[in-house]
Amino acid sequence: MSSNELLTRLGKTLMEDSLTDIDVMRQTSEPSAIQILPEANVIKVGGQSFMDRGRAAVFPFVQEIVENLPHHKMIIGTGAGTRARHAYSVGIDLGMPTGVLSVLGTFVSMQNARMLHYLLAKHGIPFIEPVQFPQLPLYLAERRAVIFMGMPPYTFWQQNPAVGRIPPHRTDTGAYLVSEVFGAKSMIYIKDEKGLYTADPKKDKGAKFIPKITVSELKALDLRDVVVEPAVLDMMQNAAHRRSIQIVNGLEPGNLTRALNGEAVGTIITAD
Amino acid sequence: MIHTDNRHHVFSKLMRESLIDKDVMASTETPVVRMLPHVHVVKIGGRSLIDGGRDALYPVAEVLNRILQKERLVLGVGGGTRSRHVFSIGLDLGLPTGVLAQLAMADALGNAHILGALLAPYGVVAIPPEIFGHLLPLFIQSAPGVIFNGVPPYSIWEHPPAVGRIPPHRTDAGCFILGECFGCKSVTLVKDVDGLYDSDPKKNPSASFIDEISVTDLKKKNLASLPFDEVLLDILKTTRLVKSFQIINGLKPDLIEAAVKGEHVGTIIHAD
Repeated sequence: MSSNELLTRLGKTLMEDSLTDIDVMRQTSEPSAIQILPEANVIKVGGQSFMDRGRAAVFPFVQEIVENLPHHKMIIGTGAGTRARHAYSVGIDLGMPTGVLSVLGTFVSMQNARMLHYLLAKHGIPFIEPVQFPQLPLYLAERRAVIFMGMPPYTFWQQNPAVGRIPPHRTDTGAYLVSEVFGAKSMIYIKDEKGLYTADPKKDKGAKFIPKITVSELKALDLRDVVVEPAVLDMMQNAAHRRSIQIVNGLEPGNLTRALNGEAVGTIITAD
Repeated sequence: MIHTDNRHHVFSKLMRESLIDKDVMASTETPVVRMLPHVHVVKIGGRSLIDGGRDALYPVAEVLNRILQKERLVLGVGGGTRSRHVFSIGLDLGLPTGVLAQLAMADALGNAHILGALLAPYGVVAIPPEIFGHLLPLFIQSAPGVIFNGVPPYSIWEHPPAVGRIPPHRTDAGCFILGECFGCKSVTLVKDVDGLYDSDPKKNPSASFIDEISVTDLKKKNLASLPFDEVLLDILKTTRLVKSFQIINGLKPDLIEAAVKGEHVGTIIHAD
């Protein structure tokens, strides 16, 4: 091979052709993506649904994480919750664009990550910001768990939602994308409800529980409210690896452990 | 603080609300402030102009200097050929979309420093991406222009595309989203073609030029390739402040000055 030759024919195509050409894009599916951290589980701890409940919810959950350290590797992201809702409300009233609201949501998600981190600190578990992600594999190998803030670091580059001003890619999405890019073993959402219902069970007593559903079935239901950010559903359809997620009620002891063991304890949503 | 459901809420308009509920989201649709209404965003193509070296870029730098005497510019740059090369190697190694997005940041940052060296005599330099967004209003008051690597900070949080593994949010998208968030006066993408054609003019000499088109009309045409990041079509659909962008030919560098003045000298793609 002469020194000017490219490694692959695709390399030549990518240099010369358009990255908007669908035929070129099809060629970029192969070879398939590796799983970077196939043994890791990504767990997202709800903000409003979990952290905002304080000690009563969080302490037993932290204990369950510690009990699972010998058996499972966990990348634990945090939601934002009621303070983000406050910041968004004030920000919207002041005419802040979505990108600024995204910055505000990031700060709240970071506060929750710091609090969870201090509860787990004596077990040697670090909190890592996005710039520290290159150290994540080491921490996971050494300490078996890390904490991160669930909000994706889009800041001013957060895209507008179709309706309203709230950032559409929040902590459910940020955590999901971590599970997808690393080819993780599972994506588990810790909330304060058993999973997905036909309506918000806190507001509608007639809401029916849905234990298992596909993304297109869920979209066809056209629910007014869904237990995870809709962006996660769209991304699952395009995903190379993480094509299912589970939503579990973290207020019931044992659910995290069972979900980590691969059991169905809440709602499982799968890509088509 | 309100304790009605064992969650500890901070009083706000969004308190206890689901940020997914469609009616709640509609209530957050209010006017947005423009943070940088007098600033223009100009993206200088990587493969199309910077990789062209002295012949292509010196005249562009000269025109940019002339514009900077009167106008404030945020200059984004593309990653060009080196990004295409790192994509091809990364794909061959089985690396996922998020990793490819993370890798591509470096190429565009290199190009930002190249343009920064040419514009340094006028006080215009490349700003590190970590501080660029937050300090942009300060920089743009202190210097006539700033340069950033047009890449949005999605990194490993890049969305998996529907087809293949190339990151969908590249530098055109990064420049446009920034302009939208800061409410900039215009967004111009400077390439090495006159604008949009119904087929690639480099391959088909009889391709016909499209001087202005809406997102919906453009999607209907289902063109084989586009001279800008395809994801911009979706981004334009939800835009609030910047309703169009213009693609112009930087090999005719005077057009950059005309475009910044608001003249129609290339192809304008606008929201419906």
